[in-house]
Amino acid sequence: MSSAFSFYLTTLLVYLGVDILAVWSLNLQYGVAGIYNFAWIMFQAVGAYTAGVLTLGADTGNGGFQQYILGLRLPEPLPVLLAGVVAGALALVVGIVALRRLRTDYQAMVMLVISVIALLVVENVTGLFNGPAGLSLIPQPYGSLPLSTLGYQWFYVALTAATCLFVYLFVHRVTSSPLGRALRATRDNEDAAQALGKDVVRLRLFIFVMGGAIAGISGAVLILFIGAWSPGSWAYVETLVVLTAVIVGGTGNNFGVMLGALLVPVAFNEATRFIPPFGRPGLVDALQWIVIGGLALVFLWFWPRGIVPERRRRFPGGPLVAPAEMTDPSEVT
Amino acid sequence: MTGSLFVQSIGFGLVTASILALASVGFTLQFGVSNILNLAYGDLMTASAFAGYAVNHAGGSIPESLAAGAGFGALASMLLNRYVYRPFVRHGTKLFGMVVVTLAVGIILQNILLGAYGATFFSYSFSTGRQVHILGMVFDTSQLMIIGLSVVVMILVQLLLTRTRLGKAMRATAANPSLAQASGIATDQVTDLAWLISGALCGLAGVVLVLNTSAFQSTTGNDFLVIIVAAAMLGGVGNPTGAMLASIVLGVVTEMAAGFLTPSFKEVIAFGVLVVVLLFRPTGIFGQGATVKEIPA
Repeated sequence: MSSAFSFYLTTLLVYLGVDILAVWSLNLQYGVAGIYNFAWIMFQAVGAYTAGVLTLGADTGNGGFQQYILGLRLPEPLPVLLAGVVAGALALVVGIVALRRLRTDYQAMVMLVISVIALLVVENVTGLFNGPAGLSLIPQPYGSLPLSTLGYQWFYVALTAATCLFVYLFVHRVTSSPLGRALRATRDNEDAAQALGKDVVRLRLFIFVMGGAIAGISGAVLILFIGAWSPGSWAYVETLVVLTAVIVGGTGNNFGVMLGALLVPVAFNEATRFIPPFGRPGLVDALQWIVIGGLALVFLWFWPRGIVPERRRRFPGGPLVAPAEMTDPSEVT
Repeated sequence: MTGSLFVQSIGFGLVTASILALASVGFTLQFGVSNILNLAYGDLMTASAFAGYAVNHAGGSIPESLAAGAGFGALASMLLNRYVYRPFVRHGTKLFGMVVVTLAVGIILQNILLGAYGATFFSYSFSTGRQVHILGMVFDTSQLMIIGLSVVVMILVQLLLTRTRLGKAMRATAANPSLAQASGIATDQVTDLAWLISGALCGLAGVVLVLNTSAFQSTTGNDFLVIIVAAAMLGGVGNPTGAMLASIVLGVVTEMAAGFLTPSFKEVIAFGVLVVVLLFRPTGIFGQGATVKEIPA
């Protein structure tokens, strides 16, 4: 294996890890709980910025060309954990405004608007996260380890894998527990879940915060690897990529969405790298977006449940109808 | 000095409000009749602006460009609903899936425009006319034309919805599609007509938006989408009269913010207004809009 190829492969593996965290996060919120989070990318961005400013140190460093708040140099796992905490806290605030009283269609619109507004604020309040230029030159975590460049790459892959493993244990625990069952019930039939005594708003708020925290962690893992993050990375349409990955993989299925992460963000972003540039500049990027949009449409039409559909759960002693069929809202109302 | 800045901000606000009213009434009509949150709306505005640009570029006048934009917007919206959105709904795609569908259509449309025209800026060749002073406010004649056009169109929309059989049929379809159908209303045709009309508004809004900003590119309409959504929500989604009033509020408030604070915070202020209103009235200021329901097939 040539070193250039190993370098490429390790980079790809870290991206895959980040995308897997991303789809698990959105799958908890949308796939399991049915929350229309069109602001997903904002939570990833907040995590990335948090990890950035907690790693960079005071903003007078590096010649002081960047302006940002806080500017601490915290020891290693802390920036990632705090990225999760901050993104989770933001999710709590957004959730209290959006999920508590608004109708689902209003929720979708509010999320979309919030995502765009957050971007505008970060771009225009330069003192926050260095405005449109974004943060850069973020030092690598555990940079003092005696590792070769390639060795460090593999080390970071291992860190990412470990993060994914911990997050998976949590995600799996949630989706396979009675809590997960209650969440799916609120997704499939809110009124029925409420009638059975489930506190729908609290359940949704909880999973929204958890999903937000995981989104934040995914952003932290990404920024500490690539060392930079700017408003260009989180236009609201970026949420569509993660959403398409969830839909393609299999909404509500933790393993399915992993496959989606491999196919959509990784495969499609990488495929364009090998297309020789043709036409006017930017045409390949435009085509990439057209393909992502087309993919979402094709899957919603032909395979709305995705490649690996959510497992239909059967309960001994329960009715013989599969829950997904029984609770299809169009048949209930 | 602040006094004149105040008055002038109101003037700018009225121009923004006029553009916003055209756009948000079209947007809210689509939601009212079909319960589809059409996130491709901004990109359709851009596409219509490019259609108007083609006419303008070929030597057409501004009224001809407006007509071209409106015609393109109307036809494209109607076809989009008939051949993409409605089939998806009949296929069983639910509310959330439909939002994803419209988002995907918008992205595809925007990137087709980007691929076709590149990332450069375009502008119509026209004269903004002379300056007119009204009550201390300064307008170009082209801005007065935008305000006039918007007022006339708003009156026509109001008359259509309240005084004609078609308007009644549209409101009936919005309120209860199956009951409307059972009462002998040809809901499919009514929906087609609603998308034609709202699409014409979308196209007009696209052309006047780029006339006012003077330079535009493939993302211009989509950048305006957030404030359209804010106006529609503030007015109660699905309620055209509410959207008109909300447009005036947001238009004036955002231009005030631009005048007294900084232009980059226009949308932020609009959003602040929206959040405060939604905290107290979760369905918008102006009463009940469309009720929550699955999308009528």
